[in-house]
Amino acid sequence: MGDLSPAHRQNLSFRLYRLLLFCYPPAFRRACMDEMLQTFRDCYREALQLQGHRGLLRLWQWLLRDLAITVSVEYVRACIKWLKQLFALEERQVQFFMNITFAQQTDIGRQRDVNEDSMISVLPDDPRQLNEKGALFVVADGLGGHTGGELASELAVNTVREAYYQDEGSDRAAALQRAVQQANTRIYQQNLAKSPKPSPEWIMGTTCVAAVLLGDSVIVANVGDSRAYIVRGDEMKQITHDHSLVAEELRAGLITREQAKNHPQRNLISRCLGEGTVEVDIFTEHVQTGDKLLLCTDGLSALVDDDELAMIVRRYDLQESVQRLIERANELGGPDNITAVVAQVA
Amino acid sequence: MKQRSREPEEMLPLTPAVLHIMLALLDGERHGYGIMQEIAQRTGGKMRMGPGTLYGSLKRMIEDGLIEESGERPDPGLDDERRRYYRLTAFGQRVIHAEIRRLEQIIQFAHAKQLVANPETPGGA
Repeated sequence: MGDLSPAHRQNLSFRLYRLLLFCYPPAFRRACMDEMLQTFRDCYREALQLQGHRGLLRLWQWLLRDLAITVSVEYVRACIKWLKQLFALEERQVQFFMNITFAQQTDIGRQRDVNEDSMISVLPDDPRQLNEKGALFVVADGLGGHTGGELASELAVNTVREAYYQDEGSDRAAALQRAVQQANTRIYQQNLAKSPKPSPEWIMGTTCVAAVLLGDSVIVANVGDSRAYIVRGDEMKQITHDHSLVAEELRAGLITREQAKNHPQRNLISRCLGEGTVEVDIFTEHVQTGDKLLLCTDGLSALVDDDELAMIVRRYDLQESVQRLIERANELGGPDNITAVVAQVA
Repeated sequence: MKQRSREPEEMLPLTPAVLHIMLALLDGERHGYGIMQEIAQRTGGKMRMGPGTLYGSLKRMIEDGLIEESGERPDPGLDDERRRYYRLTAFGQRVIHAEIRRLEQIIQFAHAKQLVANPETPGGA
């Protein structure tokens, strides 16, 4: 390899290491491959700088040894995990008999020409998955020019679903938070790919509210002004805190509720996915038989009063209630896209 | 979901890899390569953690709630590439402090035993 230019040699080394990484089990690769490649580049550069070609030889010896050992370790771990699950030896929480049903609907509204909302509802068939990770519902309201909003909200719901169910951690609230963080990273990367210094016309973002029904709890992660409510008997409670400029002012006591309702900037959000770093709010609430969970975008909640939302959800069965919620928003003008997901614990 | 609130002691003893990573993060956030460098430097080059060991451990530590990701940004000391930074969680901090206390106790015992066994040659047998 002596007659290769340094850049060419580095490129080949990089491609070789990348190929070798395929020895790892798929789950490990998904989680770690990018960072391991980045670290390889750093180590390569350092070895070359400090010790020249001898350093590179030593580097490869060291890396190959690390690879051989840790590939075996990761496969053994994966086997043990698989065996434990097979023989149900994995420490499992008390198995709750969960009967969850849901309905979902999204609508373009009366005044927009694109639907930038996305939604997803996941009810695992595998009873083990259902008992360990629960059912997942995600709603997202995209924003951004040039149909970026549609892409962003779709990326959000799909990434959260993928990341949440791949996450093997025992703390499911943390897992949900991590999943939303991952969605943020994906969208941010897309923004950067379009332009390293995204200008306002090109940047795309989305709100995201994700809820997991697991055992006797609901876990909700939220960024933005889409909402999650619990409807129980006569009461309805909003679980999430809106990340909108108006809501922040309301919480800070700078304006009254009446002023908030008619504030000209009530559609501006203060937090969304697609920025460099984002803080994801996480809530856990107890649920009991008969409770209904409502997730919606502000195309519904900004238009229809909480009381009316509660009445519709309480009174009608799931499928009919989502239809009526959408109809009601359209009756009131439908200025925005409308999305509603209602789930029930039976 | 009845979540057991975990006691730090349940996580002890820490494996050497996990212990070194947590010590590296004790004084602030670092990215993967930064953790590698800190460990190599701190141990005078004696412990060089490979990427497989490092990232395998980081992945499990996140699942166990010991550490968390804290955003992606470039390292001013390196290049413009954005790197994933890690930091200890509150639970992780309690765990590493519990482990340090446990190790201190062991060392105290060891010193005490050596003194009792060989009062004329303290610290050596």
